[in-house]
Amino acid sequence: MHVMSGFTNLETDVLVVGGGVAGSMAAIPALEAGLKVVICEKGKVLDHCGSIGCGVDHYLTVMDTGPEWDTPEFLLKHVPELTDYIVDMAVASRVIHEMPRIFRKIESLGVDFRDRQTGDYYRLRSFGLPGAYHINFDGTDFKKHIGERVRKGKATVLMRTMVVQLLVKDNRAYGAIAFNFRTGEWYTIRAKAVVLAAGDVNRISQNASGLAFDSWHIPYNTGDAHAMGYHAGAALANMESVEATLTPKGFSCQGLNALVSLGAYFVNKAGERFMFKYDTKGENARRAVIADAVINECLLGNGPIYLDCRHLPQDMLDRMEHTLQVDRYTLPAYYQQKGVNFREELVEVSVSELSIRRSGVYFRGSGLAVDTNAETSVEALFAAGDCATVSGGISGAAVLGHIAGEGVVGRVGGSSGVLPPIDPSAIEAIRAQAADHLASEGGMPWKAFEDATRQTVTDYVGVRRTEKGLKLALETLNALAKREPRLRANDLHGLMRVHESKNIRLNAEIMATASLARTETRTGSAHWRLDHPQPDEANWRRFVIVERGAQGPTVRTLSTERPLSDAFARSAETA
Amino acid sequence: MDAKPVHNPIQIDPVTCIRCNLCDWICPGDLIYKAEDDRATLPVVAYPDECWYCGLCQSICPTNAITVVFPETMLRNTTDVATLLGKVVE
Repeated sequence: MHVMSGFTNLETDVLVVGGGVAGSMAAIPALEAGLKVVICEKGKVLDHCGSIGCGVDHYLTVMDTGPEWDTPEFLLKHVPELTDYIVDMAVASRVIHEMPRIFRKIESLGVDFRDRQTGDYYRLRSFGLPGAYHINFDGTDFKKHIGERVRKGKATVLMRTMVVQLLVKDNRAYGAIAFNFRTGEWYTIRAKAVVLAAGDVNRISQNASGLAFDSWHIPYNTGDAHAMGYHAGAALANMESVEATLTPKGFSCQGLNALVSLGAYFVNKAGERFMFKYDTKGENARRAVIADAVINECLLGNGPIYLDCRHLPQDMLDRMEHTLQVDRYTLPAYYQQKGVNFREELVEVSVSELSIRRSGVYFRGSGLAVDTNAETSVEALFAAGDCATVSGGISGAAVLGHIAGEGVVGRVGGSSGVLPPIDPSAIEAIRAQAADHLASEGGMPWKAFEDATRQTVTDYVGVRRTEKGLKLALETLNALAKREPRLRANDLHGLMRVHESKNIRLNAEIMATASLARTETRTGSAHWRLDHPQPDEANWRRFVIVERGAQGPTVRTLSTERPLSDAFARSAETA
Repeated sequence: MDAKPVHNPIQIDPVTCIRCNLCDWICPGDLIYKAEDDRATLPVVAYPDECWYCGLCQSICPTNAITVVFPETMLRNTTDVATLLGKVVE
C-alpha cells in the first residue's frame, strides 16, 4: 500500500478545511490581509458550491434598499419566531447586519444577481420569511467568481485531500493532519488559526431510492468538521434538529425553494391542497413546516403526495425549468428518463432522507457553536457554513465565512509565541491506523458499517423519537464504534470513505444524545418526541450543547437568552 | 453485497471521448479515474455506487460523450414513505 509514502510538513498562517462557499469566503479576507492560506478540499475544484456541487439559484439577503422590511432590524426582529426561539441572537444579529456588506462584496467579485431580462433583482418571498429576501437568479457562475478570487490571492489549495485530525494544545488549535487519497501523501499542517468549513452531515438516514449516495445535498459532506471539532474539545449545539425536504420520489434533489417561491402547489391523493392545514402561509411556510406537513399527511394515510404546477402560466414554468437546472443540472434529464412532464402532469414527491444541517429553518444552525467572530469554544478554531450554528444556506455560509476570515485576521495578528511542535507519535498513530484499515482483510466493509448507522438513525433517531428508541440507538451506535478500528478499506479512496463513515456514526451518536436530552417537541419533525409531543416553552427555551466527555458525548443546556459563547471556557477576546 | 451487479450511472461513449481528463478533474466524489497524458485509455467509473447523479461530468465534457443514466429505483420508485419515518418505540 502507498499509505506510508510521502510526508510533508506545511507551515501557514491559516488552514481552511473545505473549499466551498464558507471556506472560500473565509480565505478571502485572510488573503487580503496578506496572510498565508492553505485550503484542504476533498473535491478538486473551487468553482462549485460545496453543499450542492453546482450553481446557486437563490440568495437570501437584506439589501437595505429603503423599505422597512429590507432592513437588518426588521428581519432580526422576526428571527426568534422563525427559529422557534432556539437561536443565538448575538451571532444572528452580526450575520444579518453584515448581509448587505457581504452581498455587495460578492457583487464586486463579479457575481451578477440581476435578472438577465429585466436588469433588476428578482426578489421573492418564501420559507416563511417576513419579506422578499430571496433573490432568484442564474447563479451558475456564482462560486466560480468566488473561487477565482481565492486563486488570485495565491492560496495553496490541496485537492483530493482529507483532513482527519486537528492539532490542539491547551484548548488552542494549531493545525491539522491530512492525507491525499489519490497519492497517499500525508501532511502535517501547522497554522496560527484553523477554519472548519466542511459542510453538513449527509448519508445519515435512509431515503426512498435506497441508494446511500442519493442525497438531497452532496453526499460527500459527512460531518467531518463536526467530528474533528468534537474530538478537539469544541462544543456543538442544536444537533438534535434534523432537516428534510421534499423531492421527486426516488431522486433526492434540490429545488423546493424555486418550486414554492414560484407558486407550485402540493396535493394529496385526493387531489386536495393541504399545506394551509398546517400553516396560514400555505406553501410559503418554512421548509421544516412543509416537510412536517407531508410527513403528517403520509402518516394519516393521505399519501401519495404530488407536486402540482399545472396552474402556473407558461412564463413562470419556463423560469422554473431554467432555475431548477441551475441547482441540479440533471433534473431535466431525470424527468425525461422518467417520462414525466412536470408542466402538465402531477409529479409524486417523497420526504427526503434526513440530514443534520439547519433544522429546516434559517439562522438556527446545527453544528459547532460559534461566537460573533465565528470562533468556536476552542481558541483559534473557527467554523462557518453548514457545520456551524446560525449559519446555513448559501448566504449564511458566505456571511459567516467572511466573518470567520476577519476573525482569523484578528486572531493571527494577536497571536504571539511559537506554535507547539507536532508530536511525531500522534502522526504515526494515525498512519498506523490507516495502514490497519487497508490491511484489514477480515474487517467490516465501510458500506455495511454505514448501512447499519443509517438504519439505526432511520428507525430510532428519525422523526418519531422516544426515550426508549433513542437509548436503543445509542446502544447500537456504541457497539458499532467498537468495530471502527477493524473497518476495511480496499484502497486510498476507500480509506477516505472509512474516515467519512466514522464521522457519520459519531454525528449520529451526538444527534441521538442531544435528542434524548431535549424532552419536548420543537419545530415539528425537526425534533419530534412521541413521549413529549408538545413544545415546552417554560423549560426548553434552551440550547442543548454536546461536548466530548471521558465516556463519550456529554450534554449541557444554556438559556437561549444568552449567547452560546457564554458556555465557552476560553476568553472571547481577540486582538 | 459486492457480487451484485452495480448500475453504471455514467455512460461514456468511447467513440466521441477525447480522453481529456476533465470528468476525472470535476467529479466531486472522486469516482472517475483517468490516467493523465494517456490517449489510449478511457476514463473509468471506479466507484459507480457512490455517484450523486449531479451530472458535472456530463456538463463539462467538451464532446458530449457522457450521459448520466438513472437506475429504475430512482425513476420508478415504489418505497412507502412511511418506512422512512422511523419505528414507533413506546
